[in-house]
Amino acid sequence: MTGKKEAFYITAADLAAAGWQALPDELVSSRHLIYSSPATLAYNSPGAQGFGVKRAGLAIPGSVMLLVSPGCCGRNTAILSELGGYSERFFYLLQDQTDIVTGRHLKAIPDAVQAVYDCLRKKPSVIMICITCVDALLGTDMERVCRKASACVGIPVLPCYMYALTREGRRPPMVHVRQSIYSLLQPAKRSSRTVNILGHFAPLEDDCELYDILRSFGIRRINEISRLQTYEEYLEMARANFNLVLHPEALPAAEDLRKRLGIPYIELKRLYQTDKISRQYQLFAASLGQTCDDTAEREAAEEVIRSFAEDFPGAVFAVGEGCNANAFELSLTLLRAGLRVSEIFANITEEDFVYLRKIAQISPQTRICSNLEPTMIYYDSSDLPADFTIGKDAVYYHPEAIPVEWSDDVQPFGYAGVRHFFEACRRAAEKEGQAR
Amino acid sequence: MKGLRLFIPPFAPDQSGAAGVFCELGGLTVIVDAGGCAGNICGFDEPRWFSSRSAIFSAGLRDMDAILGRDDKLVAKIADVSRKIESNFVAIIGTPVPAVIGTDYQALKRMIGKKTGLPVMAAACDGTRLYDDGAGEAFLELFRTFAEDSQGPQKGLTGLIGAAPMDLGRIGRQELIRACTGASRQGQFPAAEEYLAYGLGGDLDEIRRAGQAEHNIVLSPSGLAAARYLKDRFGTPFTAAYPMELIPEREKILQEALRRENERILIVHQQILACSLRDEISRRRERAGAESARVTAASWFMMDPACMQEGDLQLQEEDDWTELVREGGYDLIIADPLFMRAVPDYGGRFVPLTHFAVSG
Repeated sequence: MTGKKEAFYITAADLAAAGWQALPDELVSSRHLIYSSPATLAYNSPGAQGFGVKRAGLAIPGSVMLLVSPGCCGRNTAILSELGGYSERFFYLLQDQTDIVTGRHLKAIPDAVQAVYDCLRKKPSVIMICITCVDALLGTDMERVCRKASACVGIPVLPCYMYALTREGRRPPMVHVRQSIYSLLQPAKRSSRTVNILGHFAPLEDDCELYDILRSFGIRRINEISRLQTYEEYLEMARANFNLVLHPEALPAAEDLRKRLGIPYIELKRLYQTDKISRQYQLFAASLGQTCDDTAEREAAEEVIRSFAEDFPGAVFAVGEGCNANAFELSLTLLRAGLRVSEIFANITEEDFVYLRKIAQISPQTRICSNLEPTMIYYDSSDLPADFTIGKDAVYYHPEAIPVEWSDDVQPFGYAGVRHFFEACRRAAEKEGQAR
Repeated sequence: MKGLRLFIPPFAPDQSGAAGVFCELGGLTVIVDAGGCAGNICGFDEPRWFSSRSAIFSAGLRDMDAILGRDDKLVAKIADVSRKIESNFVAIIGTPVPAVIGTDYQALKRMIGKKTGLPVMAAACDGTRLYDDGAGEAFLELFRTFAEDSQGPQKGLTGLIGAAPMDLGRIGRQELIRACTGASRQGQFPAAEEYLAYGLGGDLDEIRRAGQAEHNIVLSPSGLAAARYLKDRFGTPFTAAYPMELIPEREKILQEALRRENERILIVHQQILACSLRDEISRRRERAGAESARVTAASWFMMDPACMQEGDLQLQEEDDWTELVREGGYDLIIADPLFMRAVPDYGGRFVPLTHFAVSG
């Protein structure tokens, strides 16, 4: 903190020196109020954009959702309806003041589920029941309520927990919803040529090399829940030889599937450093007794990086966490490419220190800020202007910079992700150039 | 079925209404929630939030905070922020979590006031009620806390109560005052020389001067309780009315309402807008020599008995709405388009009249 009316920041060098155990209070969200700005919308209201619990809970093909909550929790669902395809899939059982204290609403749920089922001309495959903080505090046994409701309508009824109160607990809502949506898979004859990709609720980019790599291993069927059209196709996921986990929040779901169906899993991280991507692919291939020749893809990605760095020498980036990347890993990638990173807006985790320490060596003055910290209300971008902003949060803070939100539903991964990222930056620069 | 919504998503809740009142007054607004409520309030219900930096914070409650009732931790966080952020009051707004654990807002107010030295207001919202409830509570708190004793009314000074985005949408202060000035010139509103637009683009000084107002105009039912309080305390008379100029597509609506074949008309909105629109329809039909139509005002929000006419309705459940449309025999419905999803078989005419608190 450099003065009363300035936003808090700490340099990469100072933070790396302090270490994870000595994080300043400003970077620990549980130690202060949470500043609410457009930069924190994804944190405060994940359902309002991208995939929050509500949208994610509808990942099973043909499913619909009954949200059982006070009206306030369903308010932003109108936005989802605007996204298309969702307006016919959300239903509400609104709790009143007595319900939220006594739990009286629980008795009404089976009837409400029946009413939802009856009103739909095309019958759903599954009805998800989404409950919120109120039921977390009431200690509701929603599994039992779901069983009762399922007996009424004769189709699966699954719980979905939108418990914001447990966001930093052992099973946060986005972890739980992933467990929930795969919980209907039943033991089936395994196919050695089938793999499931778990983690995201939208598919990888079509030209992602991971598909080709899997095919080169002899895989013929690659399941991603977002590409499945029918409930029957969804059930086929139980036949996978192994699960590929691309988002850490899907690890408990993968572990459930390992225990219940005996499907092993392998985790791959989304990375932007090409040497690390290559290393990860080699290890992945080796774990399956295969080899992976990624030379061409790696060279293509590195050429795109090189070309960008040449065309935009010394470009300054402000990188936020509201994008399809780990803000620290992406920042390190940019720095290693010879570009500059002035600021990183993110909640740092212990794992991020691996990247932070390297960032501190290359660019010790890079500032680390937390979007959630109250003094961000005083953030002034003129203190440290940027050329490019990555992520919705950074875009909010730096209206003067070239905006690259990099937060589409379709997921970048691997070398294709790297290529597309730098191409997106170039396109944004060209667009801004025309506009300015 | 009670509480069941098959077609119509939930409306803006009480906490959004309360936050909308405090939003621009320079205080620290703290939503006592786990994060999601603050996100919904700001990201969905507060259009001003995207263009201005408002000091709105989430308490960031976690399960153990709620289970153990760690009010002291919340007070300490608020005190910490009050040292870092310039502010002239603290407003705490409830959500379902504090409602479930029975938070004592009076105690919280005392503790926060003691720690921060700032005036503290509380709106005991619980997320189950609607925006006008929360806004009404917030307006009352504001005037109780800040309205200063007055030597008497200032001629031509008019207060506007209930001006918030939930009812006005994206209409700003200048536009509101311009419309009220126009309505005043046409004799629809009392004569005014200066306006105090409480909570819309103004500051706390306007609230402090509330006792000097010669007259108050209440734009939405959320302002009625505050208007009655000001009447009791300062003797300020009030009129409940909504300026026609601010109704989107009003000429199209009126044109349709003036058609002779439209004998039974239903207007669904916030009560004061609906009643003002009904009055205008009656005036224009009379002027045009048309027979008077039977116009019903209905609302899912507050319906103040003093403003109701015979046949006006308070809607509670989705079933109430479908039954009203099915049985009412209306030739014309003027309402937010979102409602019509629930009545696909309605065969009469429909003119959209959006309501921010409904469809956002």
